[in-house]
Amino acid sequence: MNDIGEFTLLVALATAIYGCVAYVMSARGNRIDLYLSADKTPLIVWGCVMISSICLWRGFLTNDFSLQYVWAYSNIELDTFYKVASFWGGQKGSLLFWTLLLTTYTVVVHFQNRKKNLRVVPYAMAVLFIIIIFFLFLVNFSTNPFERIPLPPEDGRGLNPLLQNYWMVIHPPTLYLGYVGFTVPFAFAVAALISKNLDDGWIRLTRKWTLISWFFLCMGNLFGASWAYVELGWGGYWAWDPVENAAFMPLLIATAFLHSVMIQEKKDMMKVWNMSLILLTFVMTIFGTFITRSGLIQSVHTFDEATLGYYFLAFLFVILFSCMALIIARLPLLKSENQLDSFLSRESSFLFNNLLLLGIAFATFWGTIFPIISEAVRGIKITVGPPFYNQVNVPIGLALLALVGIGPVIAWRRATVSNLKKNFFKPLAAAFIAAVALAPVIPLGSRVENYTYITFVLCVFVLACILIEFFKGTAARMGLHEESMFGALATVTWRNKRRYGGYIVHIGIVLIFAGIAGSQAYGTHVEKHLKTGETFKIRGYDITYEKLVAIEATSVKTRVIAQLQVERNGSHYWTARPEKEFYKGQNQPVSEVDVLSTWKEDLYMILADFRDDESATIKVYVNPMVSWMWTGGWVIAFGTMISMWPDRLEQRRRLERFRREETLFPSPAQE
Amino acid sequence: MHMLKFFLSIFVAAWFVVSAPEISQAGSLLQDLENALMCKCDDKCGKVLINCTCSTSDKTRAKFTKLLDSGLTVDQIIKSQVDKYGETVLSAPTKFGFNLTAWVMPFVALIAGGVGVRKIINSWIGKKQKPDSEDVPEEKSATPGKYSKRLQDELDGIEL
Repeated sequence: MNDIGEFTLLVALATAIYGCVAYVMSARGNRIDLYLSADKTPLIVWGCVMISSICLWRGFLTNDFSLQYVWAYSNIELDTFYKVASFWGGQKGSLLFWTLLLTTYTVVVHFQNRKKNLRVVPYAMAVLFIIIIFFLFLVNFSTNPFERIPLPPEDGRGLNPLLQNYWMVIHPPTLYLGYVGFTVPFAFAVAALISKNLDDGWIRLTRKWTLISWFFLCMGNLFGASWAYVELGWGGYWAWDPVENAAFMPLLIATAFLHSVMIQEKKDMMKVWNMSLILLTFVMTIFGTFITRSGLIQSVHTFDEATLGYYFLAFLFVILFSCMALIIARLPLLKSENQLDSFLSRESSFLFNNLLLLGIAFATFWGTIFPIISEAVRGIKITVGPPFYNQVNVPIGLALLALVGIGPVIAWRRATVSNLKKNFFKPLAAAFIAAVALAPVIPLGSRVENYTYITFVLCVFVLACILIEFFKGTAARMGLHEESMFGALATVTWRNKRRYGGYIVHIGIVLIFAGIAGSQAYGTHVEKHLKTGETFKIRGYDITYEKLVAIEATSVKTRVIAQLQVERNGSHYWTARPEKEFYKGQNQPVSEVDVLSTWKEDLYMILADFRDDESATIKVYVNPMVSWMWTGGWVIAFGTMISMWPDRLEQRRRLERFRREETLFPSPAQE
Repeated sequence: MHMLKFFLSIFVAAWFVVSAPEISQAGSLLQDLENALMCKCDDKCGKVLINCTCSTSDKTRAKFTKLLDSGLTVDQIIKSQVDKYGETVLSAPTKFGFNLTAWVMPFVALIAGGVGVRKIINSWIGKKQKPDSEDVPEEKSATPGKYSKRLQDELDGIEL
C-alpha cells in the first residue's frame, strides 16, 4: 500500500504538469481538443492524491511503523480519533493534507465551471495547477510522507501530548480550509488579469469561495484560541505568537477585500485595489506557511524541519513579483471612472475600513518580522510579544469597531447633515446612555480599563446601529404587508440575505470585541499551595481542595487529578477536577484545565504542581465574558451561512444583468 | 489645513497611547515582571512568562517573588535579566534607539495611508463635480429649489 501511495503522488505530479500546460495551450491557441483533454486532469490528480492520503491513513490505523512519519507521530496506544488526526500532526502529512484540500477545491471549481466562462476558467485552472505542482513537488521530493525505516520499530514515538486534544481534529483542518480556499479567488483574479476580462466577473464567480474561505479562516482562528485556552493552561486564549499572527493577517486582508469588492460590484471602482488585496491575502497565506515551516521565528507552532521554509520563500517571491508585474502590465485596463459624490459616504467609510484593517495587518506583520530586521541591522535578536501588539493594535481596532457601526448606516453616495442626524441620532443616544450608565459601574484609571470602557460604549453604538437597521426593514415590511413582527423580520432578512447576513456577522464581531475587552480588563487570578481540606476565596467563590488521585490511564499515560469543591453563597456550586497528564518519554507534563463557563465569567482551574504529601498548588482564574467570544464565533457562523445561502432573487437579477451584457465571458465557440 | 489638523491629532493621540506608562491589569509587581519578560526555558518555548506553564517558568516566578520581597524594584529585576540574557528576554522592544521604529512605523504607515485615502477620495470627488457643473447646468436650474432638496433627501434615504 505504501508503494501505491508513493506512486500515486508521482502520477498526480505528472498529470498536474500536463493539465497545467494543456489548459494554458488550450486557452492561448483556442484549441478545444486540448481543453477537453485537460478537462480530465483535475479528477485524476484529486483521485491520485486521495489514494495516497488513504494509504497514509491506513499506515496510521494499522500501526505501520515502517513509515517514518507514522512512527514519529503515532504509537499503538494512541486513540483511533488521534490516529486519524496525526495525519496532519507533522510537516510531511500536513503538506499532503494541504494538497488533498487544494485538489478537492480544484475539482469542485472544475465541475462548477467546466462548461462556462471559458475565457477565464482555463487560466484559473492553470494557476490552481501551478500551486498544486508546487505542493506535489514538495511531498514527492522534499517531505515524502512514505519515507521508510529499514528495520521498523515495534512502537512509535507517539503524538505530542499537547496535540492530543479534540481540537486537534477540528482546528487545523478548519484553518487549512480557509488558507487553501483563498487559492480559488486568487486563481480567478490572476486568470482575469491574464485573459484581460477585468470587470467584476471574477469577483462574482468567486464570491462564495471568498466567503467560505473567510469563514473557515475566522473560525480556525477562534478554534485555535479556544484550544489554547483549554490546553495550554495559562488562562488566556491569544498570545500574539508569530504563527497566530500568520493566520490573523490574511483574515484581516480578506476582510478588507470582502468589503471593498462591494464598491467594485456597485460602482465599478477600485479594480486595482481589489486585485492587490486578493493577491496579498494569498501571499499572506504562503507567508504564514513559511513562518511555520522555516524555523526563522520562534513559535510554539513551528514544525521540526526548518529547511522547507526556503522553498516557500522562493515560491512567495515568484508569486509576488509575477503578480505585481501582471497588475502593472494591465494597469491601463484596470483603470475605471472613479467618481465619488461626497467625502461623507458609505464608499469613503469602506475605504477607511480598508485602511484600518490593513493598518492592523501591517502592525502585526511589522511586529512579526521586526526581530529579523533587528538582527539584520543591529545584530541583536529581540522579542516582540503581546505588550507591543496590544498597545499598537488596540487603538486601531477601536477605530475599526466604530466604523463597523458607521459603515452600514451612512448613506451610499452622499451623506447630508439631515440624514446623518436621522441615522445616527438614536445610536449616538444609546452610546451616550451607555457611557453615562457604565461610568460609575466600571473601574476606570488604567489604560486597559479605559480602553475597555470605550470598547463597551462603542459596542452599544454598533449594536444600536445594526438593530435599528433591522427595525427599519421590519417596520417597512409590516407597513406594506400584514405580517407579524417576527414574520416580517424573517422575510426582510431572507430577501436580503447578503446585507442582513453581514449585519449578523457584525453582531458576532461586537460580541468578540466585548468578550476580549471584558476578559482582559477584569480578569483576576490567584495561586495557592494547599493541603487537603484547606479553603480559599476568589471573587465570591469558596474553593476547598479535597483530594489528589493518580490513575494509570494507559501504559504510556498517567493522570493526576485534583478534586476541588466550589461553593457560592454557602451552597455547592461546582466540583472541579483539573489534572496533569504524564506521558512516557516526555519531559514536561501536560495540564488539563477544568473550566466552568457561564455568560458572566469563566472559573478556570489549573493543577500547577503537587507533592508526595498530597498537597497541591492550584491556580484559579476568574475570566469574565470569555464565553461572549465563542458565542460571537457562532453568531458569525450563522450570519455567514445566511449571506452564502443561495438567493434566487439575486441569481435572477444577475441573470438579467448577464443577458443585458450578453455573456460575461463568451466561450470560444460563441466568438 | 483641516486635513493637516485631523492627521496631526491622530498622530498626537497615537503618540500618547504609545508613550503612556504601562499599568498592569491587577497591579501586582510580579505580574508586571511576568508581562515584561520572556520565559527562558531550555525548550525555547518563546512564550511570555505570564503565558508559560513550564517548570522553568514556575522557578523563575518563585525567584522573582523572593527578589521583590528582598526589596528590589521591578526595573532593577528587569535590568538584571537584560544583563544576563540580553534584550531578547524583554517581551517588547524598548522605546528608544532603533527599537523605536518598531513602535512608530505602524502609525506612520497608518497616517500615510490616511493621507493617501483622503487624497484619492478628493480626486474622485473632483472628477464627479467637474462634469456635473459643465454638462447639466440648465437642468439643475430648471428644478425648483424646494423640490430639488426634497429629491436629494429622498435619494439619500434610498438603500441601494
